[in-house]
Amino acid sequence: MKKFLGILLCMAAVASASMIGLDALGEEQSFGGMASSAGRGFAGGAKTGDAEGLALVNPARVAFDTKVVFNVNFLMEFTSLEHSGLAYSTSSVSIPSFNLSFPMGRFGAAGVSLWQHYSSVMDEEVEDSTSSVIAKLKYQSSVYEIVPTYAVRLPYLRNFSLGASAHFVMGNVERSLTLGPDNSAVSKEDYWATSEAKITDYVDGSWEIKNHPAYYSAALQYRGHQMSYYFSYTTPYTLRNDLNYNFRFSEIDTLVPTKYTREIDIPMTLATGLNFRFFKRNNVMLDLQWRSWDGDVENISRSFSMDEYTETQNDVFASVGFQRDGSTLFYDPFWDRVTYRAGAWYKSWYIKNAYEVGGSIGAGFPLGRKGTVVDLAIQGGKRFVDDGHSWEESFVGIRLGLMGIGNWGSTQR
Amino acid sequence: MKQKKFAILSILFVLAVLLTSCIFDTDESALSSWLDDQGLPNSYQVQTLEIDGIVPVSAESYQNLAPRDAYSIVYLGRSANISHDMVLDFMFDTLLFAKLKDADVAKSSIDFRLNSQFYGAKNFPKDSFPIQESMNVTVSWRLTRGMGESFLRSIVDIEDSTWRDSLIYWENDGSADTSYEISIGKKDSVVSLTLPSALIDSLRKKVTYCRLQLRLSAPEAQHVLRFYGPESSYGPQFRMTTETDSLTRTVTPYRAAEILENKEDCLECPILHGGLYYDSLMVELPSEPILKKLAEFYGDEFPYNGGDKYDVRQAVVLAELTMFKDDSQGSNELGYPIQIVAGSFMDDADSVYHLNERYKLNKKLIDEKGHPNMVFYDGDSLSLQVTSGMRNFINKASDGRNFKFKMRMSLPVLSPKDSLYSDHIVVVDSAKKTTDTSYVFFNNFDLARYDFSESMKSPMRLKLWLASKRGDE
Repeated sequence: MKKFLGILLCMAAVASASMIGLDALGEEQSFGGMASSAGRGFAGGAKTGDAEGLALVNPARVAFDTKVVFNVNFLMEFTSLEHSGLAYSTSSVSIPSFNLSFPMGRFGAAGVSLWQHYSSVMDEEVEDSTSSVIAKLKYQSSVYEIVPTYAVRLPYLRNFSLGASAHFVMGNVERSLTLGPDNSAVSKEDYWATSEAKITDYVDGSWEIKNHPAYYSAALQYRGHQMSYYFSYTTPYTLRNDLNYNFRFSEIDTLVPTKYTREIDIPMTLATGLNFRFFKRNNVMLDLQWRSWDGDVENISRSFSMDEYTETQNDVFASVGFQRDGSTLFYDPFWDRVTYRAGAWYKSWYIKNAYEVGGSIGAGFPLGRKGTVVDLAIQGGKRFVDDGHSWEESFVGIRLGLMGIGNWGSTQR
Repeated sequence: MKQKKFAILSILFVLAVLLTSCIFDTDESALSSWLDDQGLPNSYQVQTLEIDGIVPVSAESYQNLAPRDAYSIVYLGRSANISHDMVLDFMFDTLLFAKLKDADVAKSSIDFRLNSQFYGAKNFPKDSFPIQESMNVTVSWRLTRGMGESFLRSIVDIEDSTWRDSLIYWENDGSADTSYEISIGKKDSVVSLTLPSALIDSLRKKVTYCRLQLRLSAPEAQHVLRFYGPESSYGPQFRMTTETDSLTRTVTPYRAAEILENKEDCLECPILHGGLYYDSLMVELPSEPILKKLAEFYGDEFPYNGGDKYDVRQAVVLAELTMFKDDSQGSNELGYPIQIVAGSFMDDADSVYHLNERYKLNKKLIDEKGHPNMVFYDGDSLSLQVTSGMRNFINKASDGRNFKFKMRMSLPVLSPKDSLYSDHIVVVDSAKKTTDTSYVFFNNFDLARYDFSESMKSPMRLKLWLASKRGDE
């Protein structure tokens, strides 16, 4: 385990994820970025089972679980930035979510998630063509949410469940642009004053929700013999980002920062999905998530020639997936006990003219008899930004989910 | 078993990494191009701005003339209109007094040895010898008597700082004016001053334990003499000789202090003295011409009054202030140029602290003309770097403050045109393989003075190298 984490940490040291919207909110980890969900193209919000665990978009689903589920998810992504035949590739490692769900029989089910909802990650060095000075450009922003969830099956209508969750937002932002001098506008006699004079344009800050402790999601789920559906609604909210803008001459030599707060209105989210089960263990699923953005997103910006605002568009996430559930009988052959997944998605980002298409395959490998599962998903796709510069991002990602399943609290029959 | 599984997973992971990294090419220019499109910079644009005609609002000199410890060097005399008195603290025992009392005649002197680290330094001007003068010295003393060793212990127990503070209010038990013919020919000379008989008579009065605090003052002297202090084995020695048995008793001081007095005619004038640790000149420049010029330059409002009023729209990369100088308004002992160092006042969370400004080398200028921050050197201008102070000032100018900085005299400069600015070995004769060391500074302060009255009345020029966060406007 130590070796494994060691490799992850090594890779994290040279990290840049998607570079779209770095100055706005960054990349969104839809559906908690769970490996099991990612393997089927992020579809399957309506899929029920004994140990499906939490679905951030559908808090009602967990009411049908009968086993305690804990999972932690890792994402390793390789991204290639492409434009007019030029390409720059980079990689990142992140841990999009931890989830714990705890069914309590007729008292419903409770759970809690830690979710990295948005992230801007870039850590690159680039040489200035005129001065040959290396500039270090770094973004490290994460909007985290702690999401307690409660869901319960309705009395009498046992095929229906209601669920609700609260999203407590926190996180931090750091943007650090360490630059060397460009002396092109000064007399040669004056070059001496700027030799070795690197300056860092530094911004840091924190995230919270304006005027409220959390935002909320509510969902209704129906589980049929073959068809299952859900519908969920998430309240709109305003993200508040308190920022300190500064210049740094060294770690301990800085100015007094000036404070600024940007506010980002996140619209309500509507989501729905269905799951069709056939031949007992095969499932086809379809999910749709929709948000209608009213206003633009204010950027961290306020330096150099960076845009002050990022224009938005209605964001849609449509996904379709297939899953063949693994056998739950431990004496079945290993490959029959493996869960197989495949899926595809289309996503229009919250950023105007940014789109993403992707596909994935995945599998859930049972380990031992105690219910541990390792979910592996391999995904790939493209992001297009048509903002007049026609940038594209190709990405290949590997997601790994470690899932522990237990029978705590349930009595043996 | 578990370890095996994780090992397999790890290998799979690494393989996946290697395979996927082969899929994509990478090209730095793609990143640069993307950064350009996003408006992210590769470098900051440097701009220079000169602001002329800044006349200081005020210039005040500050001194801390509290008595200072003199363990390593004791000073006596006067230089640069500052007098340096020495006070030595002695303790005597009964044996000595018994002999003194019985003696028919006794005489006493105090011997000092020149501090050869100063006078014998490699670069000490050799033409300074001989040092000759008829020095009028006032010898004054305090005598305290007590019984038993507990008396001596009570003296030892006095904190040195407490003792030095007590010297501010010096009241003597006796004094005598004497004149000594000083003639010092070489670096390790011994100067012996005969002490007045009144002092010896006082000492002989009673057989007992005794404490003597001896003060030597020469406020009208033409030189300041530097002797080894009591911490050295060459320190001051109090000698008494009795004629009866021709015995010589020697006592060394337990501690020593230096008392300074400013003898300038004009105490309000902006005069800077060298060699005094706390002698400084505080200069205040008006904010208006600086902010007005910045406003014209950027087309923005200065001082910044938006938000919480802290200005981080630009950064001062370097600030250099140039003022008029007239070396005829100063005097120094050693004849070397003396570097002036600038200090700034920086705001901390809820206080202000003093920071010595960094000095960035303009190597081309130094090689051609020498360091620009020296007095007693060619030219009629003095340039000081006040970068940190100017950053702090512009950052917080909205509170209406003026720009303040501090000037102090540093060490004499031995290599005024050496842009290496560090001690280094030079080859004297490559054939004989002989080398020498080139030092930047002399190893001790010069007791110099410099009157900046004219400089502070004359307009100064501030040059700023600026990095702006403003985009293409």
